[in-house]
Amino acid sequence: MCLTAKSVLGLWCSVWALWVPFCGTVQGQAGNSDSCFVANARFISEVWSKVGAVDCLKCHRQGGDAEDSRFVLHALGLESSKQQQSIHAKNLKAFQRMAAEKVNGQSLLLQKVVGGLSHGGEKVVEANSTSFKLLKTFVERRHDIETSQLSVPTPSVSPSSVSPSSVPQELVSEPFFTDVILLNPKRLLRKATLSLAGRLPSPAEQAAVVEGRLDSIEPILLQLMTEDAFYVRLRESFNDIFLTHGVDGNPDSTVLSYEHFEKTRLWYQDYDLSHIEDEKERRQAGYQIAGDYRAALLEEPMRLVEYIVRQNRPMTEIVTADYIMVSPYTSRGYGVFDEVKDQFKDPENPFEFIPLRLGALKGRGQKEDQDSESGFYPHAGVLSTFQYLSRYPTTETNRNRLRARMYYQHFLGVDVLELATRVSDAAAVSEKYETPTMEAPECVVCHTTLDPVAGLFQDYWRFDRNFAIYGKRHEGWFDDMFQAGFEGEELPEADRWRALQWLGERTAKDPRFAIVMAEHAYYLLTGRRPLLAPSDLDDPLFEAKFRAWKTLRCQTESVARGLVQGGFDFKRAIVTWVLSDFYRADAFSIADASPVRLAELDDVGVVRMLSPEQLERKISAVFGRSWGQLNGQTAMLYGGIDSKEVTERASDPGGAMGAIQRTLSNDVACRNVAYDFSRSRGDRILFPNLDPDVLPGVDQKSDALIRSTIAHLHWRILGRDDAVDSDAVAQTFDLFSAVIADASLVKNLDQREAWTCRQGLESPVPDPNYTVRSWRAVVTYLLRQEGFLYE
Amino acid sequence: MNDHLERRRFLKACVAAGLGFADPLSHVNGATVDQGQELPTYEGPYYIVFNASGGWDTTYLMDPKGVGGINRLYQEGEIQSHGQHRFAPTAESKEGGISNEDFYKEFGSELLVFNGLDYSVNNHAPCSRYMATGKLDSLAYPTFAALVAACKGQACPLSFLTFGNYSATGNLVAMSRVPYLPSLRRIANADSISGNLQSPYHDDFALRRIEQAMEQRFASRADKPLLPRQRRADNMLYAAQVNSKALSRVTPHLPTEIPKQRLAKQAEIALASFKAGICVSANLSIGQFDSHANNDRDQMKLIPELLEGIAYLLRRAEELQIREKIVVIAQSEMGRTPAYNSGHGKDHWSIGSMMFLGPGVQGDRVIGRTDEKQFAVPFNAERLVPDAVGGIRIRPEHLHQSLRELAGIVDHPHSAAFPLGIKNTERLIGLWGV
Repeated sequence: MCLTAKSVLGLWCSVWALWVPFCGTVQGQAGNSDSCFVANARFISEVWSKVGAVDCLKCHRQGGDAEDSRFVLHALGLESSKQQQSIHAKNLKAFQRMAAEKVNGQSLLLQKVVGGLSHGGEKVVEANSTSFKLLKTFVERRHDIETSQLSVPTPSVSPSSVSPSSVPQELVSEPFFTDVILLNPKRLLRKATLSLAGRLPSPAEQAAVVEGRLDSIEPILLQLMTEDAFYVRLRESFNDIFLTHGVDGNPDSTVLSYEHFEKTRLWYQDYDLSHIEDEKERRQAGYQIAGDYRAALLEEPMRLVEYIVRQNRPMTEIVTADYIMVSPYTSRGYGVFDEVKDQFKDPENPFEFIPLRLGALKGRGQKEDQDSESGFYPHAGVLSTFQYLSRYPTTETNRNRLRARMYYQHFLGVDVLELATRVSDAAAVSEKYETPTMEAPECVVCHTTLDPVAGLFQDYWRFDRNFAIYGKRHEGWFDDMFQAGFEGEELPEADRWRALQWLGERTAKDPRFAIVMAEHAYYLLTGRRPLLAPSDLDDPLFEAKFRAWKTLRCQTESVARGLVQGGFDFKRAIVTWVLSDFYRADAFSIADASPVRLAELDDVGVVRMLSPEQLERKISAVFGRSWGQLNGQTAMLYGGIDSKEVTERASDPGGAMGAIQRTLSNDVACRNVAYDFSRSRGDRILFPNLDPDVLPGVDQKSDALIRSTIAHLHWRILGRDDAVDSDAVAQTFDLFSAVIADASLVKNLDQREAWTCRQGLESPVPDPNYTVRSWRAVVTYLLRQEGFLYE
Repeated sequence: MNDHLERRRFLKACVAAGLGFADPLSHVNGATVDQGQELPTYEGPYYIVFNASGGWDTTYLMDPKGVGGINRLYQEGEIQSHGQHRFAPTAESKEGGISNEDFYKEFGSELLVFNGLDYSVNNHAPCSRYMATGKLDSLAYPTFAALVAACKGQACPLSFLTFGNYSATGNLVAMSRVPYLPSLRRIANADSISGNLQSPYHDDFALRRIEQAMEQRFASRADKPLLPRQRRADNMLYAAQVNSKALSRVTPHLPTEIPKQRLAKQAEIALASFKAGICVSANLSIGQFDSHANNDRDQMKLIPELLEGIAYLLRRAEELQIREKIVVIAQSEMGRTPAYNSGHGKDHWSIGSMMFLGPGVQGDRVIGRTDEKQFAVPFNAERLVPDAVGGIRIRPEHLHQSLRELAGIVDHPHSAAFPLGIKNTERLIGLWGV
């Protein structure tokens, strides 16, 4: 990889802006999340957030390319509101100083920013762009803006000629969630238990929720995050991010190298199965062991995440843990089973995991031995796992830059390739410089940050067919790259053997780490990453989109701050998100909302199409047994991922997925309706109070019973608390009645359920009046709705 | 219920719900409502984008050099030609697939090549996004394949098929991944047990009632205030389930034997979907072109494989009698450097080429040029000639603007929502030649 774009300057500046906080404080309750903007005066909202943080900060900061200039700005971390005000004041002063200075009668600031006066960063904004106009307005009115005003909300400085909707909404409008209807605690509890633990709330949990009291949910959430099902979900979500299940090839060869584990990694081939007499059965048992072993190897990094969260350890261990997780099977692969077998509850369980500090690697030859002053492998959480290193391999040309890129993305939330802008002639740049990444300003701006991190991975260099993973480059590390380090700090030679630990320690202290962990928690709950800041200042809806981004950003920072203050307790981060307005947003109360308001709310609400795995769990939760069909190719068709080629889950259904939804609703209803009727009433899930002989239109009592059953189904299947006299219940009642009426007009209909749908019944369920099949139609209808298929 | 009426009611409900499209049929150019079927069929043109993922070496295909050490497998004097095309000789060096010689012989007269395309950057992710959408600095833009599907056949059940590569949709249309031929068979008859039409889950009248209830519910929610995400989800979900019924049209066109080649498998799924009238565009892809380690060996496997895939598609389209409706676009996210690296590989190069073929494209033409060092020669867009002095650099957005013109979707509201910012003076007027 080679970042040669001249305007990667813009890329980096954009990326940097993503961790520039705008919020001093954030509240999680409806209606007051805008309070964090109280501190944002016009400098912050117009000049700083739209130009300074985006276009200037990367270079004009300590450690940046322009750190020696007279215009040095200060980035914000997770400081207190007061500290942030102080930093903003410094930045304002820096801008004012530059705005006041003139060369040839023109503002120095305005000349530099368009590439004049030999600006080292060349042209940063176009002369007629909105960014430029904002700066121009600032220069013209700088005397109006005093540092002391920072804490006072004031009207926007941007005139109508600058921004189509020039007055910042937060200064004049209602609180962000004012017209958004939020889930009540009862429904929030259901949503959270289904999402996090794949089950419905128990009666005791429901009873414990006090109407109107959000805090009554908190202990329930913390309790359900001790359940195994939560950890299935946690592992799934983090794999969606890290994709470590997507290691190529057989993990017994691509995770455990020939060079270091050649005597132990294929242990299953010699595993004694002689007690199984039947040859075919013995062979199958061997396949099973190998399969489980490989699956367990792939699971290790996500089991590490699980261990950290389950044991209430700080989430920083995801980059600092000095151990890996091993199972009885994988520990055999590492050759340490005998040392640890007594620590397992069940030494034959391939998926029981315990922490292990691995010894320093021993090669087949002495020169392949791992350097280690401690005698142990220098573990650095997920970062140093063989799975992570194998999933993101390197090549002679790539030089670990892929690993550095993924590190920044996964652990600091910076995607260096997310947005790039063009260079006038990238090919010419490549030709002009012998080492563009160290010489061409267009390249240096990124590689000066990326390449040192790549250098930290330098001893994990082997990418040959033996997949050694660990191993030094024979010729020594490249000298035509910026040398190993992190953000301006060089790696001390004494720490080279533990370079990734050295990186992990710094990562854990970086404010961006807390932010990205808060974002990972958001991803777990919503299936999507937080909004990116809008970049098109000329977009008529820019202000609306900016407000949406800012509000979510404030919440993210609040969660991050909570993480830092709470010792990086990831469960707390999840609880905070669940109780936030973002997670609770459920409906909209305005029928004819303006385009601006709709743009503000464009990404609000979870409204997540359930993944194949989630849908299977939901079926189990609602019906008491799984469907078992949403796996393999069907799961892929239904938007699943394989962590290799397909790494993004589908967010919207296409026709193929629509077909699967139809099949699912037909088949799940088929399997469960007659079955439920065949059980004793006390065991029934769907129809606990009604038998198939109750017909509609006979008397009020029957109709009432049918309606209450429908309301029960709406709650159980859709999570909707519909009243028995609601329109929604009436619609379903009409369907039920219409099918029965239609059936009465058909001669010679079978008086039994369809053959497939009456298999496995606990007692016969005759259907002389077509009521069973009508209820099946009802359940099919409900299963096809967004209330079931979406979260 | 009359199927046509049902369809009309559905569309009315869509309109009431403020679906992304005002009236899908108005944008389904060539779509007809068959009274015997529930949904209209899309009758072409069909757009198919071949992606050489990883970065192809154009000097081993449509932009041969043979000088300055750029190519180790041939010299300048060995460059082949067919009509206006000049291409690298690969008959002797290829491993599998088909050679350039055979490909140009069969398709050269229909083929338009653009050389000297400037990708502006040279990293996989931004380049893939740029080549797919025509927009470098946005994650929101749809790929051309998704855009044309949204404009021409948003209501088709598999309107936009993708088999990999960058596939953003701009929230205009659902993306369908159908990686396996057998899976299409399995889901084609979703209302029947195990797909057996003789064993429906519900009696006809019951199923009809379910559909009516779904439609009524959808229409009633259209009147209610919903969050934008809820509105989108409602629309997408309802459309997906209604449209999925048309999947049953695909199965008659599936081959009895599944081909072994990677692109042929993808092509069969796309072609069957085209033939069934349920698909507008498909994004086909093969990877591993990123030949940093051993350029010539890798490219001599992959370029012939890519050409074989294109040839397979066109030949099968001929058999299915839709060949004249297929528009083929072949591209890669970058080129390879003129020089070999120390590992006999070639690294990323920001100059490359594209190939086009199909209705509306006059073949046997090569537009644009690179010089002997593989740098792009600036180009006069209005006169369609290289112009080293006054020309401009032709970038993906220029070709995407032309593609939108070719597809007749430039003025469509969906296109307008994702402007490419091409000045009139920079439009490649006459690129398509017809």
